[in-house]
Amino acid sequence: MSSSEAEMGDDQTNRGFSMFLPVILGFNIASSPQSQEGDNRTVPEGFALINPLDGEMIVIEGTGTFDPSNREGPLPASKASIEAMPAVKVIEEGLECSICLGDFEVGGEAKEMPCKHRFHSGCIEKWLGIHGSCPVCRYKMPVDEGESGKGSDGDERENIGRRVEGEIRISFFFEN
Amino acid sequence: MLDLARVQKELQECNKQIDVSGISIKPKGDRLTHLTGTIPGPLGTPYESGTFNIDIVLPDGYPFEPPRMQFATKVWHPNISSQSGAICLDILKDQWSPALTLKTALLSVQALLSAPEPDDPQDAVVAQQYLRDYQTFAGTARYWTETFARSSALGVEEKVQKLVEMGFPEALVRSTLESVGGDENMALEKLCSG
Repeated sequence: MSSSEAEMGDDQTNRGFSMFLPVILGFNIASSPQSQEGDNRTVPEGFALINPLDGEMIVIEGTGTFDPSNREGPLPASKASIEAMPAVKVIEEGLECSICLGDFEVGGEAKEMPCKHRFHSGCIEKWLGIHGSCPVCRYKMPVDEGESGKGSDGDERENIGRRVEGEIRISFFFEN
Repeated sequence: MLDLARVQKELQECNKQIDVSGISIKPKGDRLTHLTGTIPGPLGTPYESGTFNIDIVLPDGYPFEPPRMQFATKVWHPNISSQSGAICLDILKDQWSPALTLKTALLSVQALLSAPEPDDPQDAVVAQQYLRDYQTFAGTARYWTETFARSSALGVEEKVQKLVEMGFPEALVRSTLESVGGDENMALEKLCSG
């Protein structure tokens, strides 16, 4: 028999719940692939807490996307694309790097992104190592292979979808 | 490490144009990591005639990380927490770019006051009210502006009078106001907490 969260107020449920705490056993459950058929969402993962005294079980279901390392967010530009930026000579006076707001030295070098925006090499390399887009126009640099599957496009809708997937469902199962 | 040279330059630039933008940024103490930004409420909005203070904390990684900003002045707005002053604004989160500055970020916050986005709320209660009953929302927002965002424009005597009218002894009001640098809201909080 299973009951939902809504029944948590039930006296018996509360008693059962409090008994869990000292005797929690956890294990990972691999959700059945059938339930995900025709659905390209990430396969949910989760774990169950079982009370060995009476066999009650709480299943906490999350999804792979709940892993904080897998959040949507900026991705660094690929090392190759950072290295491929040409160094250009600064000939004009009074230009400033829009990252540090410091002036370019005339005769010195600046790094030029594919969108033609120029920065001090230290400044732009540091930024692109965190976030692969131009600070001025948000031109997107290539990201490293293998990372391109997640979040390489900044599609807002996809991000929202991901957030929804991150919800945790808790179900209670009781055997009387 | 925080880029202090950049922060200093930003403060100079911003405060040079204070007459044009109405936006100012001042350090809170000796260090440049804690600042207070001030923006005028945009004309034609319920925030008009208010002056809003924003607490700014610069993380070590600034400008590669966004500045942390939240309203110190209470404000009634769908994208600003009426409790904590937390701001829901993409450029202060994942859309931050080091080409933005404290001033342009504050300008964006000011623009947010003009153009709320109730579909992406920070304060669900305010957002609901904005969507369901705009008149009441605007009235509340205006009232909050009058109550909390105009005090900095009041003279000391007016602040004293206001607090005395609330039932606090005048001597205590004066000393408390002085201890918090004339901030009426902070003084009220201190007086209430005894």
